[in-house]
Amino acid sequence: MRRGALTTVMLALAVLWLTPALWVLVTSLKQTPDIIRTPPEWIPWPATLGHYHEVLLSSSRTARIGRAFLNSAIVSVGATLIVVFVSAMAAYPLARMRFAGRDLIFGLLIGSLMIPNAVVLVPQYVLTQRLGWLSTYQGLIVPEAAMTFAFGVFLLRQFFLTMPRELEDAARIDGAGPWQIFLRVVLPLSQPVLGALAIFAFRSAWNDFLWPLIAVNKPDMFPLPVALALLRGAYSAESYGPIMAGAALSALPLLVVFLVANRRIVEGVRLGGLKG
Amino acid sequence: MRRRGALTPYLFLLPGLLLFGVFRLYPLLDGLRLSFTNARLGRPQYAWVGLANYERLLDDTRFHASLWNTAFYTLASTLPILAIPLALALALHRGVRLTTLLRGAFFFPFTLSVVTVGLTWLWLLDPVIGPFSYYLRALGIPVRPWLADPATAMWAIILTTVWWVAGYYLVVYLAGLQDIPRELYEAAALDGAGGWTSFWAITLPLLRPVLLFVFVTHIIGSFQIFGQVFILTQGGPGDATRTVVQHLYETAFQNFFHFGSASAMAWVLFAVIVGFSLLQFRLLRGHTEY
Repeated sequence: MRRGALTTVMLALAVLWLTPALWVLVTSLKQTPDIIRTPPEWIPWPATLGHYHEVLLSSSRTARIGRAFLNSAIVSVGATLIVVFVSAMAAYPLARMRFAGRDLIFGLLIGSLMIPNAVVLVPQYVLTQRLGWLSTYQGLIVPEAAMTFAFGVFLLRQFFLTMPRELEDAARIDGAGPWQIFLRVVLPLSQPVLGALAIFAFRSAWNDFLWPLIAVNKPDMFPLPVALALLRGAYSAESYGPIMAGAALSALPLLVVFLVANRRIVEGVRLGGLKG
Repeated sequence: MRRRGALTPYLFLLPGLLLFGVFRLYPLLDGLRLSFTNARLGRPQYAWVGLANYERLLDDTRFHASLWNTAFYTLASTLPILAIPLALALALHRGVRLTTLLRGAFFFPFTLSVVTVGLTWLWLLDPVIGPFSYYLRALGIPVRPWLADPATAMWAIILTTVWWVAGYYLVVYLAGLQDIPRELYEAAALDGAGGWTSFWAITLPLLRPVLLFVFVTHIIGSFQIFGQVFILTQGGPGDATRTVVQHLYETAFQNFFHFGSASAMAWVLFAVIVGFSLLQFRLLRGHTEY
């Protein structure tokens, strides 16, 4: 009885919690004159997909969202691939081999988790400019990957340490070199944690705002958060619809990932969060 | 052959260390160097100016306001950020059906970018046509232009942030709660301890490392708050919500293009964060040792 009551209260709270997001979705489906009507109407009727059409396909000033979506996808996938592979390569010897400087390197990486992104903002801009990478994909991908790399090493090393050594030993007896063992034995056994790291890295890159805000000054190269933020300047009754459509679209990829991999995300938070 | 084996770990580490060294470590140190120069955006030549940038920060009233605003935000947001997810986690941990669904609902905002979150609340808090103000008005509560009023703007930013991140901390707390052995509660119940007693005597002490993690993560994040401010208020009204990173961004990339003094701000911020983290670890570690 008490259990049912608490569940009801929590369900009501959860609905309330999701209301702001629901309001964005509802607004994005309304026809422009209905958007600013009060009292607030929670059922978008007559509904329209016109705002989505506008931001994705038309050539108006609010229409950079389609292109920005593509840019965000390229940058996030690129950064995720680099983070997962490079972190795994670095974490493997840190977990499994003995060599001079190991503890120093690991300590440096862990210490770097405390470096705020805002602190390296200006020098990173200077560096990226010198490389000629401003407003390029590599200028977004590589720094994004560098931001998540140390966390990736930390997470994967933790996992590699708990992996039984027998399979690696067996492969070694069969004559496999360290590189083959890494590719054929270690990586396949680590799929769950690699998945958790991939989600984490994808989320960081997809949602990052501060770095692309300064590293990109060509509208064609804006990722989604920057393109959306600049629409804010155009806030007016006519642009609420497109802005909310853009906001809803920007939430879509992670919503899908989240629905598919709910458990894995939670596990990732658990692994990464608590052992710090 | 033997040499090749000895090199193996370094070959594995090479790509990562290159990435880390060039895009993390080098910029950190280069920022320190820039903070002693008068470097500007687009000026190829610049000179060493010693501590001039740091001395200027002592007179920069806007920087002082931004430090104060950041401190205020950090202080005012800490209790809600610690308590609200904890309360939700306790409710979800025990005696609730549909835990996965509910946890997912609270976690969802954390999957959004700060820009999407900011735009959502900008739209909700609109004093004229936003539903938040409409329903308050319907309840007879006086409505203000929340984001344009210096008395409420920072609180609106805090509300936005709580909505954004609470689900993440909820999941962290839940993981911590699952690690507390059930037998402890059973033993306490046998001894006649009620819900509150076991919360104070078992849950809270055993959750201390998790609370510490949430506390430290939140404080370090708070010192760097930027996106919410940028979207919701741009630092206004006046200087009421201008935080350190917002001011740093404006100094380097919006108004003055002054890389030297922005770098000095960055290092002051870094020093504050490092100092605070060390202090916290010392204080709280002292407590946990029995």
